[in-house]
Amino acid sequence: MTRRASTRALLRRRGWLGALGSLSLGALAGGPVASSLLGCSALSSALPALWFSYGGKNREALLALVKAFGEEQPEHRLRAVYQGDYFELLAKLRTAMHAGAVPAVTHVIAEVMPYLAEAGVLEPLDELEGLSGDLELVPELAQEGAFTPKPGRRLYGLPFNRSTPIAYLNGAVLDELGLAPPTTWEELERFAALATKGEGSDRRFGFACPIDWWFWVALVGQAGGELVDAEGRYVLGAEAGERALALWQRLVHEQGVMRPPPGRDYNAWQVTNLDFLAGRAAMIWTSTAFLRYLEENAKFRVVAAPLPRDVRHAVPTGGTMFVVPRAATSEEKRHAAAFLRFMVLPERANEFATKTGYIPVSRAGIAELERSGWYASHANDAVARDQLRHVRPWPWSPELFRVQREVVQPRLEEAVLERRPPREVLASARHAIEEGM
Amino acid sequence: MKPRRPLDPYLLLLPSLAVLLAFVIAPLFFAAKTSLYRWDLLTEARFVGLGNYASLASSGQLGELVGRTFGFGAIVVVFGTTLGLALALALDRPGRLYAFFRGAIFSAYVVSWVAVALLWMWILDADSGLVTVVARALGLPTLSWLGDPRSALVTIALVTVWKITGYAMVVFLAGLQAIPPSLHEAAALDGAGAWRRFLHITWPSLKPTTAFVATTSLIASFQAFDVIRVMTQGGPVRSTTLFVYAIYEEVFVNLRVGKASALTVVFFVLLLGLTGLQLWAFRTQRASRPREEEPA
Repeated sequence: MTRRASTRALLRRRGWLGALGSLSLGALAGGPVASSLLGCSALSSALPALWFSYGGKNREALLALVKAFGEEQPEHRLRAVYQGDYFELLAKLRTAMHAGAVPAVTHVIAEVMPYLAEAGVLEPLDELEGLSGDLELVPELAQEGAFTPKPGRRLYGLPFNRSTPIAYLNGAVLDELGLAPPTTWEELERFAALATKGEGSDRRFGFACPIDWWFWVALVGQAGGELVDAEGRYVLGAEAGERALALWQRLVHEQGVMRPPPGRDYNAWQVTNLDFLAGRAAMIWTSTAFLRYLEENAKFRVVAAPLPRDVRHAVPTGGTMFVVPRAATSEEKRHAAAFLRFMVLPERANEFATKTGYIPVSRAGIAELERSGWYASHANDAVARDQLRHVRPWPWSPELFRVQREVVQPRLEEAVLERRPPREVLASARHAIEEGM
Repeated sequence: MKPRRPLDPYLLLLPSLAVLLAFVIAPLFFAAKTSLYRWDLLTEARFVGLGNYASLASSGQLGELVGRTFGFGAIVVVFGTTLGLALALALDRPGRLYAFFRGAIFSAYVVSWVAVALLWMWILDADSGLVTVVARALGLPTLSWLGDPRSALVTIALVTVWKITGYAMVVFLAGLQAIPPSLHEAAALDGAGAWRRFLHITWPSLKPTTAFVATTSLIASFQAFDVIRVMTQGGPVRSTTLFVYAIYEEVFVNLRVGKASALTVVFFVLLLGLTGLQLWAFRTQRASRPREEEPA
């Protein structure tokens, strides 16, 4: 390299270093401005955290409420932090609890609450200011009615986004067939058969439903079964559990009128919704949580209907409960209690429910919606509300979550996709529970 | 360069050693210890000895996982290596067109796994995916590629092959360009055709490259996680639950830290065995090769 060339290279290097230095100084000087513009200043990161776990319309509704809470009660501001789906949030919450770096308040799926409560990591909410006594909650959605009762049990969770499974039907198909929504299993099979038509990419299935624990529990209840017997042993519906699986197998394999969506967990739920919206499924079972989403995105009239019965009507509840980690500081718990009091107020519960499709958790809130004519003009919401009288409570069992995720869910897929005998599948599940729990 | 003091080489090694100790060796020992406990992070850990290992073996979970992971690895290694070699042989030519094809094929390797998984989910969609549409147009039977337990694992293995073939091709291209052209010229003068030249010159020269590609592909296939998380979440019916995904599921979904740690230890031992085997094969091959004559 000549001297001139090496000088040029040195100058270039100096130029780069100079630019880098200017950038660093600029970042140092402009950092606070940028962070305040982005709303992530040191001050906001020091606020007590509310961990939440969903996106889309539900996220918008929650963030609007958190903002309103901050404006209304500036001494109690919370920082909302997104933590992925329900299961990702739970994984992070356990890790945070182990590390002692918990949020002030979060929400968890109801089935996991007994596990967390019995592990001693949740704060009894009735010890917090303003959360003891009658909060005027809808009992089927609150801890007292969502779980089998036991005298003296403390209050560990307050209902937030609560739902039940529900049937959604394509109004155009109902008109085309001149049928009403099915009310029994027999009618369900008949409807699915009549509504199925076409081949290949033009095929429309009469029925679609994720092969998921939640819907199987609904079927077990409708067939007259219980998950646990009087002694607290997991019988998984016994004969009713087998009838539930046999119904799915008949619809999928013998009649070819039900489409089990590919994917697991919420991926399968999403596919079910998309199949319905695209006209590939005439009727789906999914959560009341998707009511608004389906109504707003369908190019046809969406008709909600209660799930059909076999020997009785039955639905489980779903969605999440607000909980406060025991390891949160007393200051954080004070903010959390204020936020929870704010969220169970009738107008707040209604604001979230009417924006999303979740069922209002406040008795006074539901009464107000009735008075204002909301249910008269929103028939699908009324179906979701009325179905609450068929709610079957979950067993208060710390193993419930593991039985669901580890034992039953994979076996449901085996039974339906690989067509294994329901009796054999459920016997293997009961054996696994006895061995593993 | 000669070190000034005898301790200098060790001091230079210290930062890397510290990182290795903190992020690899210490966690491994911690996992080995945790594997002897029943623990969910929240309640008191309970010592169960080798109970977690026994439970994994007796439930058949371990056997299924090992079989599935090796099956997946076999498809990825065989198809990825063969296709990589074939492409390298076809594209080892000068010219812009060949350079474009080489670049296009390698580009899949640098795209993120999540993007690749989403792209292939669209292509393989059972109702309106490209594969389904083309198959229907040709009158061929269609399948729910990712929704059927019989096809899901093979489908994900082939997606993996699609992604890593560009890498195998580039390594083989480097190997091909290291073969002295004089060998091919001499063989051609002796009347050897293209196939005999490949069999007796190219292939023997590429053996170390092939071993390298096969080993790195096998390791990559054993580490498959993101593609499974996005495309199938281990299903349907656990048919795509490979080792790393099973560890994730045990610790983050089933809340069983002890069992996940036991799986981690078994996985480590398996990888250690494979690496040992590969090293042994490499050394045996080197020892059996005749020494090249020293230049005069």
